[in-house]
Amino acid sequence: MNRLNIENLHEDRMIVEVTDDDSKITVTFKGDIDMEDPGMVLDPFFSTLHERLLAQKIKEVNTDFKELNFLNSSGIKAVAKWIMKLGEVSEAERYTIHIQYNRDITWQVTSLPTLNFLVPGVVKVE
Amino acid sequence: MSVKTTSLTDGYIELKFGPRWKYIACVRGFIQNFLAISIVDQSKADKIAMAASELLENAVKYASRDDTHIVIKVSPATEQIKILVVNTAKEESIQTLLSIYKKISDGDPLQVYVTQMKEAALRSDGKSHLGLARIRYETGGDLNVAVNNNEVQVSIAIG
Repeated sequence: MNRLNIENLHEDRMIVEVTDDDSKITVTFKGDIDMEDPGMVLDPFFSTLHERLLAQKIKEVNTDFKELNFLNSSGIKAVAKWIMKLGEVSEAERYTIHIQYNRDITWQVTSLPTLNFLVPGVVKVE
Repeated sequence: MSVKTTSLTDGYIELKFGPRWKYIACVRGFIQNFLAISIVDQSKADKIAMAASELLENAVKYASRDDTHIVIKVSPATEQIKILVVNTAKEESIQTLLSIYKKISDGDPLQVYVTQMKEAALRSDGKSHLGLARIRYETGGDLNVAVNNNEVQVSIAIG
């Protein structure tokens, strides 16, 4: 179990794992997020993640999308919703979300960098 | 689900299926593989498959009859691809679609997509209203919505 005490998700063809890696928290997305309403599982997951990152004053979190084959627009909404939560907390409390993506997967190249524009300064696409 | 595939020289593939969510991934995979080995580069095939998947999600969500189908037309000389998704929907769903289309069809595609993303994040009804803006931005194609009675035709042409 990771230090945030968050369970991994395995729903339909989607896997989301939370690990401690080199003293950073990493959230890894694998498979396909193409359910009708992925927010049903992702919204509570991201809410818990957000609350615990703030509570433990963790300042950086890695998100690894490299093995995610597909993310539908409802899934993008869920990720955007998480990032937008950072707009509701003070700058001192905020953490940085590092997004790692796969340059061989076209939607990742086009869609993931746009997450930079949601809340200035909180997302770094790498 | 029925699949009608013709030779490349005929310039199109068509798939018709009852509106079942679980078929969408299957259709997306079929389109992606077909285009990747037959017609265009991988990046273009990915964009077309993504657009087809998003359009089919909308069609399946809002279909009022068992007649959803998708046609992918190819112009081999120019490698232009046109995706057409047709379904029958209720008036309320059609009006919502037209309103989203009106909102996202003008302006800088990136700005429109980001604006829609921010609005989607504030929605609590399980809907995103993000698919059309995503398609327009990610494919760079020409998006069009036409309605005839209760039949909805959404197309995108990608050069």
